[in-house]
Amino acid sequence: MPDGAAPVLDVKDLKTVFRTRGGEVHAVNSVSFDLRPGELLGVVGESGSGKSVTMMSLIGLLPTPPADVRGGTVMFEGIDLLNCSEAELRSVRGARIGFIFQDPMTSLNPVFTVGFQLMEPLRKHMGLGKRDARVRARELLELVGIPDAERRLDDYPHQFSGGMRQRVMIAIALACDPKVLIADEPTTALDVTIQAQILELVKDLRQKLGMAIVWITHDLGVIAGIADRVIVMYGGQIVEQAPVRELFGNPRHPYTRALLRTVPSVRGSRTAKLNVIEGQPPIQKAEPAACAFRGRCAHAMPRCAQENPQRRMVGPGHDIACFWDPGMQEWQDD
Amino acid sequence: MLDRPAPAARRKLVEVKGLKMYFPITAGILRRKVGDVKAVDDVSFDIYEGETLGLVGESGCGKSTCGRVILRLYDPTAGSIRIDGTDITETDSETLRKLRPAMQMVFQDPQASLNPRMTVAAIIGEPLDEHSRLSKAEKLNRIYELMDAVGLNRNFANRYPHEFSGGQRQRIGIARALALNPKFIVCDEPIAALDVSIQAQVVNLLEDLQDRMNLTYLFISHDLSMVRHIADRVAVMYLGRIVELAPRDALYERPMHPYTQALLSAVPEPDPEIETVRKRIILTGDVPSPANPPKGCNFCTRCPKVMDICRAVKPPFREVEPGRYTACHLYEDTTTAGRTGAPEAFTSTQQGV
Repeated sequence: MPDGAAPVLDVKDLKTVFRTRGGEVHAVNSVSFDLRPGELLGVVGESGSGKSVTMMSLIGLLPTPPADVRGGTVMFEGIDLLNCSEAELRSVRGARIGFIFQDPMTSLNPVFTVGFQLMEPLRKHMGLGKRDARVRARELLELVGIPDAERRLDDYPHQFSGGMRQRVMIAIALACDPKVLIADEPTTALDVTIQAQILELVKDLRQKLGMAIVWITHDLGVIAGIADRVIVMYGGQIVEQAPVRELFGNPRHPYTRALLRTVPSVRGSRTAKLNVIEGQPPIQKAEPAACAFRGRCAHAMPRCAQENPQRRMVGPGHDIACFWDPGMQEWQDD
Repeated sequence: MLDRPAPAARRKLVEVKGLKMYFPITAGILRRKVGDVKAVDDVSFDIYEGETLGLVGESGCGKSTCGRVILRLYDPTAGSIRIDGTDITETDSETLRKLRPAMQMVFQDPQASLNPRMTVAAIIGEPLDEHSRLSKAEKLNRIYELMDAVGLNRNFANRYPHEFSGGQRQRIGIARALALNPKFIVCDEPIAALDVSIQAQVVNLLEDLQDRMNLTYLFISHDLSMVRHIADRVAVMYLGRIVELAPRDALYERPMHPYTQALLSAVPEPDPEIETVRKRIILTGDVPSPANPPKGCNFCTRCPKVMDICRAVKPPFREVEPGRYTACHLYEDTTTAGRTGAPEAFTSTQQGV
């Protein structure tokens, strides 16, 4: 991960609101982050924490209405994706920014062959002819480890197993040599042994192709194994950001700390009782004026209810959005 | 739990022997039977009173079907099920109905398993209407008692399921399962649909209830780390068969069957220091179809330690160490090798496909 290199994706103050019958829901609240060339950025959070909505808003994939991207800038290759024409956005989406979604069954079209779906972006974005596109499509299937690629091009999605379908999704995402790959819970719907295969594949592809990846997940184990840097989201905000070893070795936000403790392990020591974060994640009906985690936080102070903590640096590349700041001794005891 | 007594002295509450559940595959307008999906294929195990047996495996391995057959939600193809001393394999529906209060189920998706048009009180009270003759006041009292037991606010008794969060909905499902004072509960992926921070709340609740009411659980899950937390013994299923059954610590510390080894090694560890140096066993290929399982050992197509015998002879499920069972040719001594041919020959003639 080259530090100090110009980011490939630079997101500043992104705000997304959903208009619902019950009023507005503030799903993404002033989210800022950047993505450096070649790095794998993990985004962790529970459902409803805004991790998917953040990524969908920055490339204009949310239906508007009900969604409304209210503010911020998303700089990618010199253009602001929130403030450009639909045509420009189209030339970026699926070409220079690729996506992998959670469920490979619902994101592939069941009535077209896998080959057709692989060739579509190649012909649209890269201007390849039918024959060239097919050759490239076969190469892509081989790249993601699908045996007998030539014949498999003419198969339909239902003829593939879950893990193979996810490989096809990855092949489609990689079709136009993207600079950035956004993977939204790509292994959540898969079994652990298949997940292990996909994780190995992604590690391998990163070395071969060198694109930057945003990997959204709720599984801390997956993140520990593949990410360079991690963002933790809660209530539509980034509450902690740190390099992966720093985050797991020295988590500083009370939410991250609690989250790491609730997860049981298949190795290591086993506790008699699971640690619990009491309560529910919040639904933000208005722009947050206080800390979203305060109701479930063991360290909440009066100040947490009066203002929303801003992110502050606590170490190299490590920032948290929290007022709580004990000495080192208490870190160990907590 | 760490402080529980050893299961040796305890009574068997559930005894499953040679259980098979085949679903027919039909074809043509006449719906002629052309084959079977062998969802559960010759499974045997016991569950002791007060213990939690974890049943793990990947999707499609038959673990949920197994849980459902044990409660006679399906009629098994072969084998026997005894719950609390009563054989329920063949009982007629009227007798079975009388036995139902003792055996209950908690489902995976609380959204789908709760009627959206019924209030919480009506949902929890429905089993009481069916199986008991309580007066209105007694019934309401019992409903409140159950809501307290699972940590739901009594004031919400007249609300509808959609007004609750996922974790609270699962609590409603648990309260419903507890209504008739069951002895045995099948928990079918009860936490799979919940967020990590909520999963811990529900698992702690299940453990509290077990201690208070001396419940016996069959805990079906694909989450190996959660099963390690909650189960006393663990059974690992692959393609309709149990490949390994062992006390929890033994299984996680020293898995014997190559599939268990691969499965445990595939679980990522939430610690980058370990994760970057750890060597995983990566299985190649996919799970074969249960309609057409491979000959011999079910796992022979993906097993990293496969031998010639595995492709020909089905390994018997046998006790290899006290309390540890596995179905694998690696742990077979020569004296038992002669016995292995028999079950395979027996099953193939019986299937007649």
